[in-house]
This record gives sequence, C-alpha cells and structure tokens, in this order.
Amino acid sequence: MGFFSLAFLASWRFRIVLIFLEVPRYILTRVGGSFPRRSVLIETIQRAGRQAFSLIEHAFDAAFGPRINPLYHLGALSFFFFWVAAASGIYVYVFFETSIDGAYRSVEYLTHTQWYVGGVARSLHRYASDAMVISVLLHLAREFVLDRYRGVRWYAWLTGVILLWFLYASGIGGYWLVWDRLAQYIAVVTTEWFDWLPIFAEPIARNFLNSTSVNDRFFSLLVFMHIGFPLFLLLGMWIHILRISRAKTNPPRLIMIGTSLALTALSLVYPALSQGPADLDTLVSRVQPDWFYLAMYPLIDLWSPGAVWAIAGGGTLLLMLLPWLPRRREEPAAVVDLANCNGCGRCFADCPYSAVILQPRRDGLPFESQAVVEPDLCTACGICVGACPTATPFRRVSDLVPGIDMPSLTTRDMRSHILTATAALAGTDRIMVFGCRTGPDLASLREPGIATLALPCLAALPPSFIDFVISRRHADGVLFAGCIAGDCYQRLGVEWTEQRLAGQRDPYLRGRVPRERLATAWAGPAGATTLVREIAAFRARLRAMGPYRRGSTPSPAAPPSHPPEDHDVSYRLG
Amino acid sequence: MSLIDWDEKYSVGVAAVDHEHRELIGLVNEAHDRLMRPGGEKAVMEFLGEIFARISAHFALEEQIMRARNYDHYDEHKTDHERLLDEIRDMMDDYEDGESFSEELLAQQLQAWFAGHFRSHDARLRQNLT
Repeated sequence: MGFFSLAFLASWRFRIVLIFLEVPRYILTRVGGSFPRRSVLIETIQRAGRQAFSLIEHAFDAAFGPRINPLYHLGALSFFFFWVAAASGIYVYVFFETSIDGAYRSVEYLTHTQWYVGGVARSLHRYASDAMVISVLLHLAREFVLDRYRGVRWYAWLTGVILLWFLYASGIGGYWLVWDRLAQYIAVVTTEWFDWLPIFAEPIARNFLNSTSVNDRFFSLLVFMHIGFPLFLLLGMWIHILRISRAKTNPPRLIMIGTSLALTALSLVYPALSQGPADLDTLVSRVQPDWFYLAMYPLIDLWSPGAVWAIAGGGTLLLMLLPWLPRRREEPAAVVDLANCNGCGRCFADCPYSAVILQPRRDGLPFESQAVVEPDLCTACGICVGACPTATPFRRVSDLVPGIDMPSLTTRDMRSHILTATAALAGTDRIMVFGCRTGPDLASLREPGIATLALPCLAALPPSFIDFVISRRHADGVLFAGCIAGDCYQRLGVEWTEQRLAGQRDPYLRGRVPRERLATAWAGPAGATTLVREIAAFRARLRAMGPYRRGSTPSPAAPPSHPPEDHDVSYRLG
Repeated sequence: MSLIDWDEKYSVGVAAVDHEHRELIGLVNEAHDRLMRPGGEKAVMEFLGEIFARISAHFALEEQIMRARNYDHYDEHKTDHERLLDEIRDMMDDYEDGESFSEELLAQQLQAWFAGHFRSHDARLRQNLT
C-alpha cells in the first residue's frame, strides 16, 4: 500500500504545480473570452511529426517486426541506457582519482592501459549517456506528436520535462570530471553561464582563473554531484511512471541484447578519448564538444548567458505548459455500479493508468472490497469494462448494467449497436469489425457484409461479446482492427486483448468459440490498405467454411472425427 | 417449489462467497419457476443470461480469493470454473437453438450443473478458505 500513498503524495504535490499552471489559462479565459479548444498550430506540428515518425517506424517495422521495434520502446530504452551508464560508471569510479593531477591520469590509464575493460567501460559510459539523450528526446517528441501528453497524461509529461534538466546536469557533470581540455571549456562556460544569474555573491568563474585556484576538494564535490544528479534522475524517473500501472522499464530482451552489442562494438571501434590535459593557465581555443549534451554551450559565448537562459528556461516552461495549450478533456470517466460489483478486482488488475483501485466495501454487502474509479486518472479507455465479468451481452437487456461501465459507450449501447449494425448483413461472409480510436479508420469500410463498431480501445470489448456475435450468428466472423502490435495507444490494450483471446488472461474468450472465425489486424492508423486486404482474405476463408454450426470445432477432449450431429452429447449432464 | 434449497453444507465459510451462493440459488429457482409456468419460455433465456453473468462474477471473486490465499489447487479449480461456464453457455445455446426443447431437461441440467459447482468446493478448498 506504500506505493499508493506515495502516488497520492506525488499527485498532491503536483496538484499545487497545476494550480500555478492554471493561472495563465484562467487569465486568458477572463481576458480573451473563451480559451481555444484546439490549437491549429499544434495540430499541424503533430500531423507533420506523425508522418515523419511513421516513415522511420515503418522502416524499423520492416527490419525488426513491430514487436521489437525500438521506437515503440523509447521510454524503456531510456531506462536501459541509464542502467548501462550506471554500471559502467561504477566500474570507472573504482579507478577514478578525485584530484586535479589524478583525475586526468586515472582516466587515461583506463582508456589506454586497461583499454580491454576500463576503456570499454568508459566508452560505454559515454555512449550509453549519449544514447539516453537520443532516446529521451525521441520519446518526448513521439509522445507529443501522438498526443499522449495531455489530459490524464499531463503528469508523466510534466515530470518528464523536469527530468531533462537532471539528465543534462548528470551528463555535463561527467564531462567535467575527466579534467581534459573539454572539461576546462565546460568549467569556464558553465560558471560564466551561472554567474549571469544573481545568485552568487562573487563570480564562481574566479575559481577557474588559474591553476592555483582549483583544489582537490573541488573534485570531491564534483564526484558527489555526478553521483547525486543521476540518483535524483533515477528518483525522478520513478516518479515519472508512478501514475501508470505495469510501466515498462525494460525493453524486450532482443532490443537489450542488440543495443548492448552495438554499444560495445562502438566502444571498441571508436573508444571515448580525452582531449589533452586541462591547463587553466592557457586558454582553450579548440574543443570538440559532445553535441548531445553540449549543443547550447557555443551559444553562451556566441550570444550571451542571458540569451541561453531565456532559451533553456523559456523552452522548459513552454514544454511544461504544453498539456494545457489547450488542455484535452477526456471522455467521462468509468463508473462503478456497486449492485453489480463484487470486488473481484479484474478491472483493477487491467487498468493501464492505475485509475481503478480496490477499497473496503462501504454498502453493507458482505464483500471485502469494491472498485473505485479515480476520475483524474481515467482516460476512458474502457479496458476495465472489457475485464468485468458482468459486462456480457447475454444478460437481459433491462438489467444490463455491468459492475463498471463507460458513460460514453455503455455496454448496453455496444450490444444494441452490434444488433443494429449486423441486422442488415447477408451471406456467409458477414463480419463484425471492432476498431479502436488509433487503429485504421473504419469509416472507409462501407461495403455490404461488413458491420463496424469503433471502441476507445479493443480491450474495452468484453470477450463474451465475440461469443455472442458468433454463437448467436449475428455475423460469421469477428475482426479486430487495432493499433500497431508493439505500440498500443492505451498502453496495454493489445497485450490484454491477445491474452484474453488466447485464454491466458481473465476474462477468457470461451474455449469453444471457433478461433478460425476470429481475425486480428494490428495495422495502426496508417494501415487502411492492410486492413482491406486482411478483410478480403478473412471473408474468403469464411465463405469456404460455410455458416457457423455449433460443435464444428470439437473441444480438445472430443475426438476430431466426432460427427457434428452428436455434438451436444459429450457435455450434457444428467 | 424450489429447485434447489440452501443447505449449510454448501457453506464455504467465506461470507462473500456464501452470500453469492445464496443469491445464485435464488436466481436459479426463479428461472425454474418461470420455466414451469406456461408461456415463460421467453423469460428463461434472459434468466439464463443473468445466471451466466452472476456465475462469471462469482467465479472471478472466488479465483481472486484463492489466489490471495495461495490455494495450491488453483489451476485445477480455475479449469473447473471455465468448464462450468462452458456448460451454462451450452445450455443457453441449446435453449436458443433447440427445436425439441424440454423444460424438464433444462431444469435437470440446471440442478446438475449447480450441484457440480458445489462438488468442486470439496473439503480441501473449504479448509483452505477458512
């Protein structure tokens, strides 16, 4: 339970931040009449960004397949790079000497004398840190263009933006420790940058005027900071994922192996090198900065420290404000109906956003717990409804209120929509297509023989609906058209759907539902052509199968040669 | 006349589970009453659907309790639950599809099916849950 209390502590803290962030919006509302609901500029950038990303993603999909496409695991990859940097950093630290003379010498020893371990560790430390900058920035850009930063997801966005500062502080601090010409450059420019702020009584740059002003104790402080910032970064990364359940902090194993091999190969071929010892009595004229961390540094000299503060500070503030420019209103949150909830906990287990929790029962019924929805965390994905055992279309319509339901598309609405949409279908290749908000567009499927229903997420469909459609012969087959398999908009929808269909996760799709009458097309928003192709192939298969007959797929217990006429003998009781 | 009467021997010793068992027996009896009344056929389908939903939720809760208490025969019991759900679904389909349907047969099936569920609560589970 400690996890939850900490989650609440974090949300309480950030609600204060939120109040401050609401101020400009409030003012704009007062001054400018109504605050715009949409921003054309942001939507244009997002559209362009989505196209750019989908180009690269398709290339990676073709190369690796969607399930181990690193672009779908950027957050988890960032965690992985952190751990690589941490492990290699600990090794380097063992041999590092915290003194002016020792620092450079000890790093040189690692790189040249102990190149086979120490040198590799140093290079891994650098390249993993660089890779982390890339994965973090891509992660940020991708969540932005996919519109996964507003609404309920503001928390992860805001904490993530703050983490950028910790990431840069960690990286830049590391360069300083090597105490080579680049470190000297960083020391001078960083202090110059900070001296611009009116926080130090006397300029700290004075410390780096000549070689006598820097002492060994200063290196102890630097080491302390280079351990402290990454620790804060890690703490922040943990806070960053607090509000989602089952956060993926490890990329798929194949990605980890591939990335480790690539980093190691890079370390051996292009080992990280120092750029000559620092000498404060001479001025650094030429350095080769690490552009991943030091892209802004030349600007401090070129323009002015104030300009760079304005860019960095203003940029951060703008990024922090983005979720409210404008803010997204989620659909109404899930609603619990206690008369239909016995506290079984399946919705709690499946919610990707920790928006459903179990609390002690309060209505006097002898159950231990009840589901409670935290509306501030709910994205209205409906995955909880898909998990609820009472959300089944076989119930009598008058009573069809499940333990948890979505006001925007109730279980009763789903049922009546399916009945209406399938009523007009004819033939032996009638299909019911279920789609999701971020899957292929269903509007283009205006063909006879196809009925469609768009859901907020495919995992919002309780599996007994599939049984209902097929066993009641409302359609001959059911097709799921969803997100790209490795990249579910609602985080866990694809995974849960596949596991439920396979009978590996509650609620199971009934074993006796013939699986050949079921098809999935994880095609993503750009997959309209794939979908049309899949549908044509699926319908051809259905035509070949003929109409659905009960017992046409014998359960594993029954011999395959079982005559269909006797299908019901094997399970009748009495 | 009730099809099934609550008996203390049905008690598992967990208030929530016993409560749901009583409710289910009530629902089965109600379905049976309708079935035996002339013209009640239409309502029966809906009752069966309700029983299916209730029993699904009931099993979900039992499974949660079993998992929470590390019941060592969980997998067997879970398989049993899925089989029982299959059976009630088959009864529903039989009823929906069947031309030669008999009320007595359905009543018999329901009774046997329900007794089957209680048999699955053998002494071992009871000991584990209390």
